[in-house]
Amino acid sequence: MSAADETPPTDELLAGNRLVRATQALRERDARGIAPYLTAGDGGLESTLAVLHALDQGGAHCIELGLPFSDPIADGPVLQAASARALDTGTTLPETLEMLRAFRAAGGGVPVALMSYANPLLRHGLDETVERAAAAGADALIVPDIPLEEGALLVGACATAGVCPVFFAAPTSSDERIRRAGARSRGFLYVVGRTGVTGGGTTFDAHTQSFLARARGLSAAPIAVGFGIATPADVRAATTHADLAIVGTALVRRLHRTEAAPDARAGAAAAFLAELQAGLA
Amino acid sequence: MNERESGPWFGEFGGSFAPETLMASLNELDEAWRTDGQSAGFRAELAGLLRDYAGRATPLTPARRLSAELGCEGWLKREDLLHTGAHKLNNALGQALLASRMGKTRILAETGAGQHGVATATACALLGLECVVFMGSVDADRQRPNLLRMELLGARVELVEHGQRTLKDAINEALRTWVGDPAAHYLLGSALGPHPFPALVAGFQQVIGVEARRQVLEQAGALPQVVVACVGGGSNAIGLFRAFVDDEGVELVGVEAGGEGIAGGRHAARFQGGLPGVLHGCHTWLLQDEDGQILPTHSVSAGLDYPAVGPEHAQLQADGRATYSACEDAQALEAFDTLARLEGIIPALESSHALGWVMEERAELAGKRVLINLSGRGDKDLASVFALRGKGNP
Repeated sequence: MSAADETPPTDELLAGNRLVRATQALRERDARGIAPYLTAGDGGLESTLAVLHALDQGGAHCIELGLPFSDPIADGPVLQAASARALDTGTTLPETLEMLRAFRAAGGGVPVALMSYANPLLRHGLDETVERAAAAGADALIVPDIPLEEGALLVGACATAGVCPVFFAAPTSSDERIRRAGARSRGFLYVVGRTGVTGGGTTFDAHTQSFLARARGLSAAPIAVGFGIATPADVRAATTHADLAIVGTALVRRLHRTEAAPDARAGAAAAFLAELQAGLA
Repeated sequence: MNERESGPWFGEFGGSFAPETLMASLNELDEAWRTDGQSAGFRAELAGLLRDYAGRATPLTPARRLSAELGCEGWLKREDLLHTGAHKLNNALGQALLASRMGKTRILAETGAGQHGVATATACALLGLECVVFMGSVDADRQRPNLLRMELLGARVELVEHGQRTLKDAINEALRTWVGDPAAHYLLGSALGPHPFPALVAGFQQVIGVEARRQVLEQAGALPQVVVACVGGGSNAIGLFRAFVDDEGVELVGVEAGGEGIAGGRHAARFQGGLPGVLHGCHTWLLQDEDGQILPTHSVSAGLDYPAVGPEHAQLQADGRATYSACEDAQALEAFDTLARLEGIIPALESSHALGWVMEERAELAGKRVLINLSGRGDKDLASVFALRGKGNP
């Protein structure tokens, strides 16, 4: 593995980045947003494309688009199953980027943060893949198994492509780590609401809120909180301190309960987003 | 601690590819290993357990009838005689003791063949620690005696019902559980995973090689020309190889699971059919498809049935210091029978791969002194071996 540049993309290079502009705009207005997550290819890429458009038109502030992986160690049962279904339908990284390109070509304007485990990115070549993702219309890259220790890889690949590198903070992270992760992230710092894999319930009690406040105070980048946000009430609680609430498992579950036809999935996504928006102050 | 153990990287292999939630636990473990783990007090306590409880040193046995049959001078390092029947206890005792001294009370572990699960359950019983072992349901079926042993030893066994339901899936589930319970200690069973596990596990297993090198010098009067061990994750092999890495004349051979043959794709031979990538926290050789998805594996041996190899082996291979070959199911089964009949030792199916390679290469090895790691005993494999025979296999 090559030792890469540790410097994140410059502000100049990111001036036109949709995610940077969106989260800066939220901060300027002291407003909050919702970032739905879905697994690319769950129900087929045609459905994924239709859902992206529905979420964009419904007013999502960012979309986290997860690339399926055979061994998603940070994910709970719902997102594991979504990955498996997407792989069963033959979803690949290049086809997902083609779908994203089609989304942009059809006028899709919402910021898109790609999420992938490290291996598919490395297999296709990390630097080349990030370049291709940027050209297809991705704004950020989230890699749950690249922590700060290996962060030079992610930052180096993102720096030249004009893509935001996104690192994580967890309740187990020290102040020093949260500060470093926030300083190396662009667009937002991904704050894991509780110790655990995706899905399940996060209780936004005083303990969680104090962690989120700590993360907000330490991070130079805006913060997005995820893991276990499922209801409008969760969105309201999560965005007390976070700029963005990421809703993944609940949306993926809702979509999977809907027939796989693109129109049906788009309708379900739009309806769920509208429900969640009631939680924004 | 020697230089080989110091950092997260073995050349371009290894690293810390773990979720942020685990990094505090991994760094805490690394710190404990560097400090308490190197202390005289810890070393003495572990040495006492290995000697008085586990039964070290294990013997080095001259394999006289096998040697006569093959035309080489074969020596067997008898990890099968260690308490619980495999080398896994060296690491399980080491990590459980370290975790206990760190104040941990709950241990998580994965197991494939069940040997690491049994070793961990044993160490936890001895030290009074709570133990949860994750095991794929396919492995639980083919290694049922070990499942029962773990339960007798007081461990809770969680069967894993997704993926291929083998070792890889057990590690996935153990890691996910650890992400939700980072105060527990994850007692990883092979020399793989995120830093510090590859170095930590190799450090606890190198007692195999240290003993074997001393014993072969004492008993044979010279170093072996060839040192052979099976490689799943590769902890028994790295534990043996480390002691001989600086002996330039000693050839190091790791034997992967050739399954039903490399060409057909049903195997677990990472160096033959894989490419470097990242799985379970480290950068190493993996069986993967062109999109970077991890491929299913196959081996008659549950302990070798895994798509990634330990990063230190990847470095030894890249440096040309060790070579990695494969032994197919049929040859391993033949070796299983051969050792039982010629030496009165029933080897584990994992170890049978090392023996099978030696039997295959008998012409090349003629006249040479060959040290083979007999990493475990084969009692656990009787049911699956006889079931395979029923299906017409050798």
